[in-house]
Amino acid sequence: MMKKLVASGWGWSLLLILSIFTCSLAVLQGSTDLEFLWSSQVGQNIIWQIRVPRVLLAFIVGASLSLAGALIQSIVRNPLADPGLIGVSGGAALGAAIVIVFFEASQIDFIASQYLIPVAAFAGGLIATIAVLHLGRTNINQADAGGSAALLILAGIAINVVAASLIGLLSYLASDSALRHITFWSLGSLASANYFWIALCGSALLLVCFWLPQQRRKLDAILLGNAEAKTMGVDVKRLHTQSIVALSLLAALAVSACGIIGFVGLVTPHISRMLVGASHQYLLVMCFFLGGILLVIADTFARTIVAPAELPIGIVTALIGAPVFIWLLMREGKRLQW
Amino acid sequence: MVMRLKDIRVERNQRAILQNISGEFQRGKIYALLGPNGAGKSTLMQVMAQLLGSQGELEMAGQDARPLTPEKLAQQLAYLPQHSQLQFPLSVEEVLALATMPFELRRLEQRQQVKKAVALWGIEHLVAKDFRQLSGGEQQRCQLARTFIQLSNCADGGIWLLDEPTSSLDLEHQQQLQQICKQAAAAGHCIVLVLHDLNLAMGLADEVWVLEQGQLVAQGESQQVLTAELVKQVFKVNARTLEDGSGGRVFIYDQN
Repeated sequence: MMKKLVASGWGWSLLLILSIFTCSLAVLQGSTDLEFLWSSQVGQNIIWQIRVPRVLLAFIVGASLSLAGALIQSIVRNPLADPGLIGVSGGAALGAAIVIVFFEASQIDFIASQYLIPVAAFAGGLIATIAVLHLGRTNINQADAGGSAALLILAGIAINVVAASLIGLLSYLASDSALRHITFWSLGSLASANYFWIALCGSALLLVCFWLPQQRRKLDAILLGNAEAKTMGVDVKRLHTQSIVALSLLAALAVSACGIIGFVGLVTPHISRMLVGASHQYLLVMCFFLGGILLVIADTFARTIVAPAELPIGIVTALIGAPVFIWLLMREGKRLQW
Repeated sequence: MVMRLKDIRVERNQRAILQNISGEFQRGKIYALLGPNGAGKSTLMQVMAQLLGSQGELEMAGQDARPLTPEKLAQQLAYLPQHSQLQFPLSVEEVLALATMPFELRRLEQRQQVKKAVALWGIEHLVAKDFRQLSGGEQQRCQLARTFIQLSNCADGGIWLLDEPTSSLDLEHQQQLQQICKQAAAAGHCIVLVLHDLNLAMGLADEVWVLEQGQLVAQGESQQVLTAELVKQVFKVNARTLEDGSGGRVFIYDQN
């Protein structure tokens, strides 16, 4: 039913209305009195300088991670893949950890937390992705059309292991406060949201959204297998490379903006597939809106549930996402009699 | 002539798995690639579909086939691999519709072609189902229908490469496949099948190519090439032939 709804114009409108409704509701949620928010200058500042950017960034990051997840799952034809698999998150975490440990030690804490950490995270994510692509590509050129995806995953795992061991080493060297900072960053937070990050992540998302619609049938074909896709006219290597560049851009920027937020990239494409099927014509639209809505809800929980303190959003996405995912998996399992 | 191979050689780990393969495939004919396991039949088919790099000359319609883009290639050739696995919930209709991708068709035309193929292959009852929920034989018939749609769109006679298409099919659907292959050949297409059933090859194929350890050991008209001596030499099985009552022959295999 959901598929038919999305296929018609009504589905689009409904998802858009639902997104606007969720975002508006999220902006109004918080410990500050509603009347104060509307009537005072401070209240207006809270809305326009803190809550609106935060909710918008949550939506953009959620949509980005979700689309990145759908892309990686499709090109490696594995429903268990997630953007972290090709080393983006590991590389980004390493970049951030380097800045936290070395720059905090040199007492430039404020600058580090505001600008250097996201920049280093983005650079780390990008370097890791390029390394994975390079490792995978050497073999892609030699291998037949069937082997490239598996090699890419193996290269990703290798890079992730290197990143994890280096982060472990940095944690060993880190001071107590730096260690706490690394832990908090690795669980994700949208607290530093501002219009700069909205523009940056939003532009990347927009760029990918312009590119994706032309690729939807090619991505469908690749689900059948690389050999099938190639003999149906898809330049498989090119599509792999373009998809990895697109999803790395989305994931690296998302991680740079707000740390590592797990689960969204893995679960949202799954839920979307259960709702509208695997055809990318509907799946990508569903992932975009559902990813955005889910992260806005998760972030609203994260900042209100233990107010005035804040929970790391990674914990919330896992706590909400995991039970929903298990329920859906059991339902789907029964249907397919796995 | 739709495809010509000359001195095709494929190496893996510095060992030749296919060598000295030469020959031509003609429009309107059915070819069977035969040979024991590991002889190089599927490898040869992958070379023809340009999924595997090779040395030697490979021509399609009189031109070097290697510089062709995947899209141009898909407009002249449809390929059914030996194994195919779908992990995601695509419906049969969505799978079939993908076959029209290399061609610029209107949505209505795409739907009509899918509808026609569905009727031809008798899979009307499967169209709305999740492809993963089908049995092996049903999946095979849907994949055959998909490649058939692609072949039907190939202008001036396409090439239909089928790697063990009968492996999951029951007798009725094997006969259906034979019928459709003959119709496609009559329409000017060239059909190449990897087969293990020598009787099926003898009844269906105009020509057979017999491979052993990566080399072509026999090539020519099926009724002439397929003899009891060849079966003994290549497959290490004792066989006799009997008249089938309609001018052809069938093999009877003896226990060794």
